[in-house]
Amino acid sequence: MDSPAIITEHLTRTFGPLVAVNDVNLRVAPGQFFGFLGPNGAGKSTTIKMLTGLLAPSSGRMEILGVDLTANPVEVKRQIGVVPEGMALFGRLTGTEYLNFVGRMYGLDRLTAAKRTAELLEFMQLADQPKKLVTDYSHGMQKKLAMAAAVIHGPKILFLDEPFEGVDAIASGTLKAMLQRMISRGATIFLTSHVLEIVERLCSHVAIIHRGTLVAQGSLEELRAGVEAQAAAALEEGTPGALPPAGEKLTLEEIFLRIVGGSRLADQELSWLA
Amino acid sequence: MAGLISPEARGQFAAIAQVRWQLFINSLRTMRGRLEMVSRVLIGFGFTMGGLGGAFGLAAASWYFTSHDQTEWLALLLWLIFLFWQLFPVVATAFTETFDSSNLLRFPLSYPSYFTVRLVYGSLDPGTALGGLWLFGIWMGVTVADHRLLVPAGLALLVFGLANILLARMVFAWVERWLAQRRTREIMGILFFFLIISFQFIGPLMARFGGRKHPDVSRFSGLLLPLERLLPPGLAASALAHFSQADFAAGFASFGLLCVYAVAFFWFLNVRMLAQYRGENLSEAPAAAAPRRLAKPGSKEKLAVRAGWNVPGVSGPVAAIFEKEFRYLSRSGPMLFTLIMPLVILLIFRLSPGKSGPGGQGFVVRTPDLAFPIGAAYALLMLTNLIYNNFGADGAGVQFYFVSPVRFREIVLAKNLVHATILAFEMILIWIAVCFLYRPPSFYYTLTTIAGVLLAAPANMAVGNLLSIYTPKKFDFGTFGRQRAANTTAFASMGVQAAVFGIGALAFLLAHFLHKLWIATALLLALAVIAFVCYFVVLNRVDSIALARRETLIGELSRA
Repeated sequence: MDSPAIITEHLTRTFGPLVAVNDVNLRVAPGQFFGFLGPNGAGKSTTIKMLTGLLAPSSGRMEILGVDLTANPVEVKRQIGVVPEGMALFGRLTGTEYLNFVGRMYGLDRLTAAKRTAELLEFMQLADQPKKLVTDYSHGMQKKLAMAAAVIHGPKILFLDEPFEGVDAIASGTLKAMLQRMISRGATIFLTSHVLEIVERLCSHVAIIHRGTLVAQGSLEELRAGVEAQAAAALEEGTPGALPPAGEKLTLEEIFLRIVGGSRLADQELSWLA
Repeated sequence: MAGLISPEARGQFAAIAQVRWQLFINSLRTMRGRLEMVSRVLIGFGFTMGGLGGAFGLAAASWYFTSHDQTEWLALLLWLIFLFWQLFPVVATAFTETFDSSNLLRFPLSYPSYFTVRLVYGSLDPGTALGGLWLFGIWMGVTVADHRLLVPAGLALLVFGLANILLARMVFAWVERWLAQRRTREIMGILFFFLIISFQFIGPLMARFGGRKHPDVSRFSGLLLPLERLLPPGLAASALAHFSQADFAAGFASFGLLCVYAVAFFWFLNVRMLAQYRGENLSEAPAAAAPRRLAKPGSKEKLAVRAGWNVPGVSGPVAAIFEKEFRYLSRSGPMLFTLIMPLVILLIFRLSPGKSGPGGQGFVVRTPDLAFPIGAAYALLMLTNLIYNNFGADGAGVQFYFVSPVRFREIVLAKNLVHATILAFEMILIWIAVCFLYRPPSFYYTLTTIAGVLLAAPANMAVGNLLSIYTPKKFDFGTFGRQRAANTTAFASMGVQAAVFGIGALAFLLAHFLHKLWIATALLLALAVIAFVCYFVVLNRVDSIALARRETLIGELSRA
């Protein structure tokens, strides 16, 4: 069996008294489409920032493709692609110039970078306006460009922080097509998203982080089985309505809510709301 | 007006004041914020001294003019204040706090409240404080000289001050409207630089033509003087002069016209504010998706492949950053104008006559050997913005440097290479300009200047690289003005410049004193070696410093 693509051991990050990520132990196998979920402020972005070198961990260990990230950051960065939260674009370059720049920063020679740039712009449907500056791109166009930049060097692992946020259906379709092509060719994808329907459709495995702690990890079926087993146990203890109706499967959203727990508005709360 | 004093409006004003105070307190949580605070206190002390000194000086001058029946000279004082008041916020953006009050629009603020908040918070700047203090000085001087002027002078100066505040806000509101879009922003930047350059020529031209009774100059002055009296400073001065001569009809006529100006400024400001209040959106329109060309079935269109630059002798990533930095610069009108300023300065010095009289020659013309060192020093000063804030223009893009497999040392080195290339190019241009405008610099002065630059450039880059990481500040290459530099950086860069120029001057003095000019060259070259060693020591530590400071760097530069 292949060694895991991503391993974290006791990964912890604190900001003063706040423990944003607490003792997280992750294992992502090669070729997995891995969804990293959690409510707002749970520690998703902090984790992905640590895994991509944007943030130093307070303690713990990270290994990417068998290489220790803290000890050999440059070696790791050569093999990964990243779309960070702010997209990290250079606004006053054109799309062509930006992709050329990124390609060469990843060590591609001039001609290879230029060829891949042209192909990616064409695939992402960004080739029509070659003189337009990135700052003048729409949000969706910027997301597609950021994605193109993240894959130009053919990374083995792709880290995506909210790649579908603010993206229309057309752009979203293009991005998904690209990601599925990468998965079919053996790449590993690690993504965070709030859109659980997309994660359910794309990801084979998920992990859920809540208040900085990893509360679940496994394939969708494993998570579903775990939640249903808990529900069945609760039913035996006399808690009604915990299991889904017969013949129906729990959706990822339902699994997520059961694991993380959502607040319900009680009748007496916020009574002044219209 | 009733809306302004309602309990709801008072609560809103209090909430805004409280949030401003809270923002200030929160800014002190970090070491950087505390350092900024210290810098502000020092700057504030300087402004207070300038304000009080100016107020005493203006009080004395206005007392003299009024008591010696020379009230027409009050116009000069008021014009100086007027120009300072209007130009200071534009020129000294580093000392001007900007407050984005557009967020206020989502709250149920009445229009009078919105207008008041924009006016009051927009006016809380050193320009208004100093202008107000200086007008107070004039009022005191005039009143001490002639007690009867207490009320009329107070009224005239009050309306003049109000007109200044309204005009400054009006200009800013309209400029803000033009700065909201990238293209108009860049055009404004270029126009602003033309304005600044044209100001530089005023001194030499005044000195050249001012002392002579040139018929064209006299005719031009004759045309300008009546116009001057119809503008706010002239009208305020005219009102004071007429009041002091007990010519109340003429005094009130000037005062009335001054009020008309104030009302006009108010109205133009109101037009802008009302448009904003009604939800005008001036942000850049997102690019519309261009209609996609459909390729003919079966045809394989050739993709446009355009390779990046090949920079000999450096690695691919360094060449990529080199190209990226040059592309950024080439698309920035304001930055390009900054870079040609040394040549403009040499031209100004060439036009500038000496103190010995209109026919005399300026300092640089009399000692042309100094033209090349002066031009080179100015070129270095102009690069300060870039050298001390290496990552400012990258914005959120700085994150990419941390996820890319390139060491920070190489990234900083590439940026320094760009700055060094620009400096070398500028030095060549300056040398050619000096040859044409003055005379070819002697071999000794050329060599010594190069030695001085070899000392100054690595010294500035070493400190600049550190400050770029420790106190980064986001800025837009396409915009001029409204971009505050970190005060700590401003202070540190001034210190380095002063030290380097001081060392250069000492070397020159020592060489002159010993009558052995080569000593200066040798001394500067020896110091340059030390500066290079320091530069490389810093460069080798940049990786670890950047990694340790990455959160601050990314956080500061990724701010919206």
